[in-house]
Amino acid sequence: MTDNRVRTALHWLLGGWMLLVIVAAFFWAPSAVGFKGESSRIVFFHVPQAWVAVLAFCVNLVASLRYLRTRDPLDDARAAAAARLGLVFSLLATVTGSIFANVMWNSFWNWDPREVSIAILLLVYAAYFALREAVPDEERRASLSAAYAILAFVTMPFLVFVVPRIYWSLHPDTIIGATGKLKLQMESRMLQTLFGSLVGFTGLFVWLYTLDVRLARVRLARREREEA
Amino acid sequence: MRASTLLSESLAVLGKELTAELRSRVALNAIGLFGLTTLIAVAYQIGPYQIQEQDRPYLLSALLWIILFFAATSGLSRVFVKEEDAHTAKTLRLAARPLAVFAGKYLFNLILLSALFSLIVPLYCALMSYRVRGVAGLAVVLAAGAVALASTSTIVAAIIARASGSTTLFAILSVPLVLPLLVMLIQGTRAAAASAELAAVLPALQGIVSLGGAVLTVSVYLFPVVWHD
Repeated sequence: MTDNRVRTALHWLLGGWMLLVIVAAFFWAPSAVGFKGESSRIVFFHVPQAWVAVLAFCVNLVASLRYLRTRDPLDDARAAAAARLGLVFSLLATVTGSIFANVMWNSFWNWDPREVSIAILLLVYAAYFALREAVPDEERRASLSAAYAILAFVTMPFLVFVVPRIYWSLHPDTIIGATGKLKLQMESRMLQTLFGSLVGFTGLFVWLYTLDVRLARVRLARREREEA
Repeated sequence: MRASTLLSESLAVLGKELTAELRSRVALNAIGLFGLTTLIAVAYQIGPYQIQEQDRPYLLSALLWIILFFAATSGLSRVFVKEEDAHTAKTLRLAARPLAVFAGKYLFNLILLSALFSLIVPLYCALMSYRVRGVAGLAVVLAAGAVALASTSTIVAAIIARASGSTTLFAILSVPLVLPLLVMLIQGTRAAAASAELAAVLPALQGIVSLGGAVLTVSVYLFPVVWHD
């Protein structure tokens, strides 16, 4: 009962926080210099979406490694839930990035290295689900998809950090620069809004992830009861 | 009973693969003919004169790797799929330890890729009038590319053989994993074509070797899970 109350309170807190982030992104933070019109405001949504996509893939990796050690079906469900959310947030980051590209450069897709990187990342995780669909046996599906997820994660640093640095990119400088140093030269209200949004989107991910995992736990418990 | 070493087991698996392949020649025919057909189609339709001079370095290196990669895709998955199809996987599991099976199959795929590269690359250079200034640089890029491509292909082949054995699934799973590698291979080939200096290919080579090495290391750890589950 107490758990439910805490959960409900956290949901309301998250909703309120996200509302504040939206208001701050459009009305409190100033728009950045050197960008067309108000296009820079998309950073408050695009960057957190990309961050959550990477976070989800890290969670997917940890859950996959845990599955190979414990063989607990719930760890497989955790890995699948994280990959599902990673796919959704990568798609959102791609769409918001494309909208920004169209405003700035009059084209939704410019074959920029970062656009290619996120497209490949989407393909990797679409392939992860294609593999899951292709294996009817649950245990084998779990172990093969865990192996593929680990293998896919190895290529991720090359997609995110190496390939975009080999080719010249239109993409505005990232928060972590090519030298690996943090580059946070933003106006303070913009920075506060960005960090607020990062926290909000992370909270959103945690909420959706726990919801998915709880659903999987219920399904597993029901199946165990049916088999008993 | 004489205790076998990992090396002798790996070489035995490689020997078995070579013997079986020389008997049936399925993978060799698939890779070789696919490569030749694509090369002829590209050379006939595009040829050396259809590309503007300023586009040649970009298009020729990309076309070469598209031909090589898709030809390789048509045959590399067979190493594990044929074991499942012929119901010999269980015997192989009893006969050799997982690491030896992976090493033997990996070496076999490496030999197949080397044969493909040796056949297609000189023909491509001749048919497309592709002048490569840094032949040594290109050889190094091709060798590193073969090592890296073979590692990804071998572990993905093991995964799909345990999944449904479908070669379509092999393309779906391997293409996204191989794309960053292909980008670096194309860049390395372009650098080798433009400069006789070996140093020109080094930036791309660093990426190819590190990605190939990372995938190979992880594959060695993952293979027992894929093979036995």
